[in-house]
Amino acid sequence: MTTAGMIFMIVSLAFVWGLTFWCFKKVLTAPSGDHVVKPPDSLGG
Amino acid sequence: MSAATKQEWGTRLGVILAVAGSAVGLGNFLRFPGQAAQHGGGAFMIPYFCALLLLGIPIGWAEWTMGRYGGRKGFHSAPAIMGVIGGGKLWRYLGVIGVLIPLGVSFYYVFIEAWCLQYFFKYVGAIFGGAGIGLQAGGDVAAQTQASSAHFSEMIGKSADGALFDGGIAPIVWFWIAVFAINVWLVRRGLSGGIETFCKWAMPSMAVCALVVLVRVLTLPAPTPEQTVGNGLGFMWNPDFEALKHSETWLAAAGQIFFSLSVGFGVIINYASYLKRKDDLVLSGLTASATNELFEVGFGGMITLTASFVFLGATGAMAAAASGTFGLGFTTLPVVFAQMPAGNFIGALWFFMLFLAAITSSISMYQPTLAFVQEALGCARDKAIAIVAFVGFIGSAFVVYHSGGMVALGTIDDWVGTFLIVVLAAVQVICFAWIFGMKRGMKEAHEGAAMRIPSIFYPVIKYVAPAYLIIAIAVFASNDLPKWFKGLGENTVARNSILLIVAVTVFLCVLVAIGEKRWRAAGLDVDGERPPDDEIAAMQHKGGKR
Repeated sequence: MTTAGMIFMIVSLAFVWGLTFWCFKKVLTAPSGDHVVKPPDSLGG
Repeated sequence: MSAATKQEWGTRLGVILAVAGSAVGLGNFLRFPGQAAQHGGGAFMIPYFCALLLLGIPIGWAEWTMGRYGGRKGFHSAPAIMGVIGGGKLWRYLGVIGVLIPLGVSFYYVFIEAWCLQYFFKYVGAIFGGAGIGLQAGGDVAAQTQASSAHFSEMIGKSADGALFDGGIAPIVWFWIAVFAINVWLVRRGLSGGIETFCKWAMPSMAVCALVVLVRVLTLPAPTPEQTVGNGLGFMWNPDFEALKHSETWLAAAGQIFFSLSVGFGVIINYASYLKRKDDLVLSGLTASATNELFEVGFGGMITLTASFVFLGATGAMAAAASGTFGLGFTTLPVVFAQMPAGNFIGALWFFMLFLAAITSSISMYQPTLAFVQEALGCARDKAIAIVAFVGFIGSAFVVYHSGGMVALGTIDDWVGTFLIVVLAAVQVICFAWIFGMKRGMKEAHEGAAMRIPSIFYPVIKYVAPAYLIIAIAVFASNDLPKWFKGLGENTVARNSILLIVAVTVFLCVLVAIGEKRWRAAGLDVDGERPPDDEIAAMQHKGGKR
């Protein structure tokens, strides 16, 4: 395996594992119900 | 809608796992590594992640938003929801594609699911001294591959139509019936009690199986100094930047993302319709996509080709990558498991994992049709289930009987499971961004959202995604469609497969016509002319006015 291959593999794995953990952490800790994030004013916020 | 049709999700995590379960399928483990290895290895990840960010996630958000909005109007089927979002009959009938795709794909998907289950039982049998699939460790790899291919072909009746019923009913038919019954039973248990509960158990189980297989693959002893795990990973991940200069690489990456995430499949719009007004959909959509990516890149990208390389060498791994989903999964990997220490155990885990991946997808294919039949006819849930099961069984039986050369399976997969998905995604994203409107759409998406959609995605949803999809359809129509039509003219089974799909489409269109009359008579806002009732009630509560 080349160094470039190693880099691509590690970065890709870090991205998908990191994104998944971040999402699930946020899902499990975010308050539900009336916690509303608005879009920018120009787009209906 | 009547109380009889009232279904809802139990938890936020449940709906995320159900959507992720729908998306994670055989393609994650078997199609992705082949695509990556053939299109630049590690370099493939550049267009792949671009497509994820520019196509998969934004179109998914649009679909989640449309689904929840339709649900707030009291609708749960793609035709009714598209009618509300698009504001008219044309969109309602285009929405039929959103029911046709999951139903049509289920015709062959439950058969494939039965293959996984039968392989699983063969490997379990081999652990306890059974014959398994008849491959012995240490034999000639070429001969074993041939034997594995012959075994698979015989098992699925590839030699001729009706082969599975010649001289008695073949075992795979009983597996197919069992798998079909399990699907109907799970769907009958309801959204929360059936689909959600099952996915909450199946998804972690799938992850555990994948993790065990991954650890086994990464700790394999090298049979020769060249065939090491490191070189196997290199076969998959070493980048070839030249591939990025070819348009096929970028199209293949977009195609993989697109089909992997199940956008434009008609499932997300149905599942999201059971969310409540203040339920988050932005973070939920992102989490479901991330979960799918974890299985695809984190497991699919690490297991199959690495193991193939270690035992079959570079040439064997190359052939495995090019052999497609079924070739890699059901012909090459059994040869790999035959060479592997504890191969029967790993094989059993692997095919159990594939079975779970398949069944979490197939149950999601029946729910949109069930919701539509119930909504259109206003019938009781059990009656609707009987109708869906009848249509699903007839369609699937057609595929099982016409097993010769997998022509029926391949034809329905090409036309419904590939072409129509791109068409539906284009219809949905255009309807959302250009008819419903981005301003309205983004406001709706952010109701109850746990995170904001970054502004960069607004032009992506409005311009980039529709442009990509229209170009893809145009390129396909000029390059491949004539060949596909020619293929239909030359093969009776292929032609009959399309006739089956046309008959199902007519049936669904009749249901739309019946449903529309019922919905109008019930005073429902069929064309989306007024705000949802919960919004009006909230405004009245606040004493405000529109």
